[in-house]
Amino acid sequence: MHRLIRLKRFEQPPKGYYENFLAEFHRHQRAELLKPSLKTLLMEKLSDFVSEFRVPTMAYVGATAVAVVAAVGILTFTPPSPSSALQSSYAVSYNPSFTSQPPVTIQKMQPVSLRVDLPTSGITDSTQPFPPSYMLQAHTASHESPFSF
Amino acid sequence: MTLDPDAPLNNDPELVARAQGGDPSAFDELVVRYTPRLYGLIYNMTSNHEDTNDLLQDVFAKAYRSICSFRGKSSFSTWMHSISVNMAINFLKKRKRRQHPSLNDPDSSIENDPDFIAATSHGDPRNEISVHELQKKLNAAMLKLSTQHRAVVTMFDIQGIPHAEIANILKISEGTVRSRLFYAHRQLQNYLQEFRSTQ
Repeated sequence: MHRLIRLKRFEQPPKGYYENFLAEFHRHQRAELLKPSLKTLLMEKLSDFVSEFRVPTMAYVGATAVAVVAAVGILTFTPPSPSSALQSSYAVSYNPSFTSQPPVTIQKMQPVSLRVDLPTSGITDSTQPFPPSYMLQAHTASHESPFSF
Repeated sequence: MTLDPDAPLNNDPELVARAQGGDPSAFDELVVRYTPRLYGLIYNMTSNHEDTNDLLQDVFAKAYRSICSFRGKSSFSTWMHSISVNMAINFLKKRKRRQHPSLNDPDSSIENDPDFIAATSHGDPRNEISVHELQKKLNAAMLKLSTQHRAVVTMFDIQGIPHAEIANILKISEGTVRSRLFYAHRQLQNYLQEFRSTQ
């Protein structure tokens, strides 16, 4: 097969072709100089790019890349714990740099006493038929009726 | 100045250096020197004389534009062959849908070549085929190969470039070159069944 294919080396261009090639090359170069070279180069590069561009291939490559990125994202994503979420929200809401409003201040409040002072006089006031129950609790317990003589 | 296409390539670096220094006559000498072998390479890939001529002009124009970027990492011959093969492959991709070979006439010395005699006679004068018939069959078989396989067959079988050099030109491994050659030869054998008895 090698010897058979090698017979193709006998195919030659028309006579005088090699001798005239250099002159034709010079003419070709001069013709090139007359053309807008930058435009020609840009068009050449653009046409080469377009001819190389294969939509299905690019689509497969793009889809694969998106799938890989999505898979990596899903595998590496860990949801934040509730406590840390609370801490972060607290920190944000109380951070004065996050708001233009002045910070809320809670005014100091005085403690309120619920104690009732007992009256020292008028316990035996006859105008009151019965003293209030809390007064009774202020005295020693007695089984005798206060109205008994 | 006499320009000899058969001059040895050992003074290529000197010519390249002169061309890089702005001497157009040095580049002219390189053009004359490389035209026959690059013509053969491109012609056997395109099977069309006009396309080969246009491509060859473009190859030398590109080489002229980028000669200053040639750093001598490979030989100038490898560099030129690499430009030619790449441009031919790109051209063939664009031309895929319109193939119209215009074959050159074979040199008359082919009729004295022992391989030609063995291939065409088959030992039986009644089966003799003409030079043009053989040429048509060979080219039809070559055109059925992919561009990558055709490039390897052209460089190895027709131009006699060694495997290692082809590997450098195509920037592939030597094993890949051998593998492509093996596959291409097997395909060619299928297309050229009638000549198998001569092998």
